[in-house]
Amino acid sequence: MPFRRFATTRPFATLGFVVVAWLLLPVGVKTFSRASFFELTAPVTVAADYARGLQEYWSLRLHSNHELIVAGRDLARINASYEFAVQQNAELQAGLERLEALLRLPSYRNYRLEHARVARRDFSGWWQRIVLRKGQNFGLTVGAPVVFSGGVVGRLTEVYASTAVVELISSPNVRLAGVIEGDTNAMSYQGGLNPTFGPPRGVIEFVPLDVFASPTTTKRLVTSGFGGVFPPGLTIGVVTKVEPSTDGLFKTGEVKLDERLGSLTEVTVLVPLTHE
Amino acid sequence: MPSSESHLADHSGSLLESHKGYDSRVIFFYFVVAALLLTLAGGLAYQQLFKTDTYNERERVQSQRRVLVPGPRGNIYARDGLTVLVGNRPRFSVVLYLDELKSEFLREARVIRRNYRASGLTDLPFPQMARISVVQHYLDEVNKILGRTDKVDAKSLARHFGDQLLLPYTLIDDLTGQDYARLIESLPVRSPLQVYTSSTRSYPYGSAAAHALGYVRINDNVTADDFPGEDLATFKMAGSVGKDGLEKTFDDQLQGEAGGTIFRVDPSGYKINPPLEKRLPVQGKNLVSSLDIDLQLAAEQAIGDQIGAAVALDVSTGEVLTMVSKPDYNLAEFSPRVSTAAYAAIQAKGGEFNRALSGLYPPGSTFKILTSIAGLRSGTITPDDAIIDCQGMLQRFNRRLVCYNGIGIHHDVLLRQAIAESCDIYFYEVGWRTTPELLAAEARRFHFDRRTGIELPGETRRMFVPENAWKERTKGEKWFPGDTANMAIGQGFVLATPLQMACFTASVARGEVHTQPTLVHDPNRPRQHTESIGLTPAQRLALFEGMEACTLPPKGTARNMTTVEVQKIPGVRIAGKTGTAQVNTEAGTLNIAWFICFAPVEKPEIAIAVALEGDTPGEEYGGGRNAAPLASAILKKYFEKKNRPATPIFQPFKPH
Repeated sequence: MPFRRFATTRPFATLGFVVVAWLLLPVGVKTFSRASFFELTAPVTVAADYARGLQEYWSLRLHSNHELIVAGRDLARINASYEFAVQQNAELQAGLERLEALLRLPSYRNYRLEHARVARRDFSGWWQRIVLRKGQNFGLTVGAPVVFSGGVVGRLTEVYASTAVVELISSPNVRLAGVIEGDTNAMSYQGGLNPTFGPPRGVIEFVPLDVFASPTTTKRLVTSGFGGVFPPGLTIGVVTKVEPSTDGLFKTGEVKLDERLGSLTEVTVLVPLTHE
Repeated sequence: MPSSESHLADHSGSLLESHKGYDSRVIFFYFVVAALLLTLAGGLAYQQLFKTDTYNERERVQSQRRVLVPGPRGNIYARDGLTVLVGNRPRFSVVLYLDELKSEFLREARVIRRNYRASGLTDLPFPQMARISVVQHYLDEVNKILGRTDKVDAKSLARHFGDQLLLPYTLIDDLTGQDYARLIESLPVRSPLQVYTSSTRSYPYGSAAAHALGYVRINDNVTADDFPGEDLATFKMAGSVGKDGLEKTFDDQLQGEAGGTIFRVDPSGYKINPPLEKRLPVQGKNLVSSLDIDLQLAAEQAIGDQIGAAVALDVSTGEVLTMVSKPDYNLAEFSPRVSTAAYAAIQAKGGEFNRALSGLYPPGSTFKILTSIAGLRSGTITPDDAIIDCQGMLQRFNRRLVCYNGIGIHHDVLLRQAIAESCDIYFYEVGWRTTPELLAAEARRFHFDRRTGIELPGETRRMFVPENAWKERTKGEKWFPGDTANMAIGQGFVLATPLQMACFTASVARGEVHTQPTLVHDPNRPRQHTESIGLTPAQRLALFEGMEACTLPPKGTARNMTTVEVQKIPGVRIAGKTGTAQVNTEAGTLNIAWFICFAPVEKPEIAIAVALEGDTPGEEYGGGRNAAPLASAILKKYFEKKNRPATPIFQPFKPH
């Protein structure tokens, strides 16, 4: 009878024992365990992503030649427009450099572009982050900005041997200095409390009183470049609403983020050259 | 033996009996114990049942703290309702929430104590050292981001820790926009280090209208009406309170509504989140002033470094369009607080003194308008009677009186010419004919003997209309005809402020006797209506013609307004009157240059009074030459703007 009673309570006792043991462990050991766990599971994550990639590859193989031709034509058109944009950018860049030299302005920080594939996405009310299939093995560093064709993705918060975790700009843990396109007044952007499958949103604070925006007359919010982390001019999102804050000094507002943040497959990490 | 045994048995039996029975002493003891227990229980019940509220209250007061944050002040706008004259500027600082660092302080203190114990030192202030070390560690983080090398001020940290633990401790104040942006991106979102925003007064136009707008001072005694916890230990963020000008008069309305938070704290005074009560601060109401910033700037530019004042009023409503007083001060110097050196410099040059409403000057020849009205109303003169032949000098009452404004000789002078050319001898005669009593009565009718009641602090009460009884009472002398002559030309004992003269001019322009000036703009403010000036149309016409002729060639004393190119305002008829008064000072006699005017003559809209102090004894300083150009600058800007009025967007609050 006592043995049976022990048998029934054993799981709870074990759980209690483990919890107490974990609590009593030194902080260093716990940190090491967490990091090790991530490193150990990283190959699984990467392998799963490769498997997913293979699956996508074979599903794409099922498309007809006609579909491929149409897709190829569309891609050629997009490439043409991008080629044009690249030429324009090169011209603008040259102009900027000339002005910087004339005005003796310091150049913006230089970055090395490191393209990386998204291995896993963690989206929930608590986490807004993605795991990349590159890490220290490609020279990624904590804090490095991550971008994609739609603008800012987020910042690297954890970098492991072969993987890295990006905290998305939809996360409340990410804050950066933005400006309304064409303006120079910096304001604070922070990710909002986003529902798991809802469209990503953020909030802006310290918006100057002369900024107006509504769902019909939106304003593009871009990185300011003042903070030293993100280069200037990258799209953060679209300001859809601003309203005066109670203190009367500023406005606060809502920023609609790119919905593609939830389905990213490829991103680019801007690795600061000075960090290398 | 048996006997002794039986004795013992008896004895022991009695003992047993006594234990079995109810010994009175034992019973008494029981009662005492029971009484004590009952007292204890009663005491407990009393404390529990009847004193619960008291102890709850004591516990609440002991374990809760209240933090008050002032609301930003309301803005002060120009009369267009768009232009901010006084606003709020964000002040960014990087702060450290000390109350979130309790465990770090304790940990650091343990480390420091252990290190020092090894070297035998045990009686050092380890907690303070730990605080400095931890705060410096956080400051170093900021230093690294901003490229600075700041150090913790140990004294201010100790003071803050002791008195204001629940308030954020400022590490670096007044950050630049770039530093603010850098910190926003670099500091973790959840960190005891945060960028803090407070507000301070900003003055986009610097010293413009400084005396009218006024300034604020730091107020450490912020109050929050209707916010609970008045009996709790309260930490207050510094607010501001109006100390002069509109800031002072409308402090109650401009003052924001303070917000607050009530926290529970642990025995060491550290905050326990979340707060029990929270209310956000709310900005104060906005005030739309009557000032027209374009006119104000034009007037300030025209007055330059001269000493004096200028006031422009809306004739119809009495709203003050411009109020200039020089010397003045840069309002920005008072935000957030004025330094001792800057304040001493302001005082040394007399910058705090508002000459527009506290500068008392003899009104000089501008007073001749009142003398004319008194003469016309009493019937002692008519517009078309030449009452005296001006030969530039007059021998009367054993005195030799001079016409100071004689360009040659005026001869038989009529009212229009007398006003236009400011003939003193004509007005001496008007004064004598009208009598000093009637002149004084007329001055009182135009409110020269009392304050205007404008919504500004510090208006003088010493404006003065002299009369016979006053002179006999205070100087022990009777009233002489010479006193009447002086009074008739605005010299002698008469004293008025530029604001009073502006009100007088507006009243004359409207054909009434009183204008109530105001600095609050109301787009729906009705036209003022007071007692009629009491002149016939013909008399009024003559008065206006004389004033207009004053600004016209060939002999008007302010003819430069229409003859000098830079002063000309094409298409606008101006009625004015110059004046040059003398003031005896220790340094000698100073001239006060006066000019009053209104325009357009046919339908008056704006009335102006200018008074400038000559700063060099004996210097030529006259109304036409020095004061009229200032009025001309204001009028020019006024009529230039007239075709592009702004639409107010704010509903002004009603001060009363």
